[in-house]
Amino acid sequence: MKRRIAIILSDTLQRTGLHYLLSVCFHPAEITCFPAFETFPADNNDTFDYYFITSDTFALNTDYFLSRRNKTVVLVQHNLPADGNSAGVNHLYICSPQETILEQLQQLFAGENANSTAGEDSKGLSARETDVLRLIVTGITNKEIADKLNISLNTVLTHRKNITSKLGIKTVSGLTVYAIMNGIY
Amino acid sequence: MSEVVEEHPSLIPVINRFGIRLGLGDKSVKAVCAEHQLDTDFVLTVINTFLNDEYFPERKLQTFHTSQIIDYLTKTNQYYLRFQLPNIERHLNSFISMSTPDNHTLALIGKFFSTFKEELTARIEADGKVWFPYCLSLSEQLTACPASGEELHLGSEAHEEDTIEALLFDLKSIMIKHLSGEYNENLCYAVIFAISSLEKDIKQHNRIRYRILTPMVAAMEKLRK
Repeated sequence: MKRRIAIILSDTLQRTGLHYLLSVCFHPAEITCFPAFETFPADNNDTFDYYFITSDTFALNTDYFLSRRNKTVVLVQHNLPADGNSAGVNHLYICSPQETILEQLQQLFAGENANSTAGEDSKGLSARETDVLRLIVTGITNKEIADKLNISLNTVLTHRKNITSKLGIKTVSGLTVYAIMNGIY
Repeated sequence: MSEVVEEHPSLIPVINRFGIRLGLGDKSVKAVCAEHQLDTDFVLTVINTFLNDEYFPERKLQTFHTSQIIDYLTKTNQYYLRFQLPNIERHLNSFISMSTPDNHTLALIGKFFSTFKEELTARIEADGKVWFPYCLSLSEQLTACPASGEELHLGSEAHEEDTIEALLFDLKSIMIKHLSGEYNENLCYAVIFAISSLEKDIKQHNRIRYRILTPMVAAMEKLRK
């Protein structure tokens, strides 16, 4: 699964540098940069797995980030942040050598696998997804699929998105090949 | 120039498109371009965008002449038709016939490739017959007599997600993620390698197509009104 990462930093060089490190060393990741929290779609709930921010952004938007503290990484200059408010949040010490920073990031991302073993069986499609796939390959529209399965159009779209990300196949022709190969169709 | 090509052999088809052939000697890029009456700036920009995914100077590319851009895109199209598609096909055919005959997934992959080939061929045909002539006539009209001629709307040209790219992506993904049964490893790699190199080339082609040519045409259409 791709990690979806939001970098919300006003410092262009920090933003670019972090983006570079993350994209090169922690592939695959879907990284989006925002110059300020205001430009960040905060209402668009939880589209990201990780948030990289400064302590200022954290302090100004405590509500938002405290509730996502295990997904939030605050960039700090030195060891031991004076601010007691940000307890329990991950810190990244930006003055450390690159190696140390990479190790820190690695630890952060390693933690995620430990508590999400559920993602492991994601290679196989769920029964419902298989139903949707079977209909997709008949060439009918999303709306028709929704009607046939008695579910909403949005649910169909979500299933499609999940099927595509599980199988790594986007097009109907590709999905058809997969379906035939696996005796679904 | 030879230094760059030594470092990045994937540039060879790109320079070939400009009519530059191997046997480069120690000539500089400028000298080679002068010899072939090419715009050094344009050649360099294309080479750089090809080598570096991050580098895509939209403004600069848009300052080149429509005919230069179209000429380049046409040549990439010809390259796909004449070399890359037949190349993949050749590898794919031997991959399918040299692998175990009763592995029916391979035949499916072959069929999927045919779908892709049809799509790409159809697009190239439409490019040559409709889209490119339209772009060129627009740019000619603008220099000759502005405000005349009918408008052609190719809504499909504004595609966010390119079907050609998506099909190629799937083709590769199906082979890498979902291949099963007995198959010939070496030939399989040859197929995937050929697909990857076409994929990379088409990505570059599409970047120029959608982010340079399409906006240029839109701007010309606006100017004409």
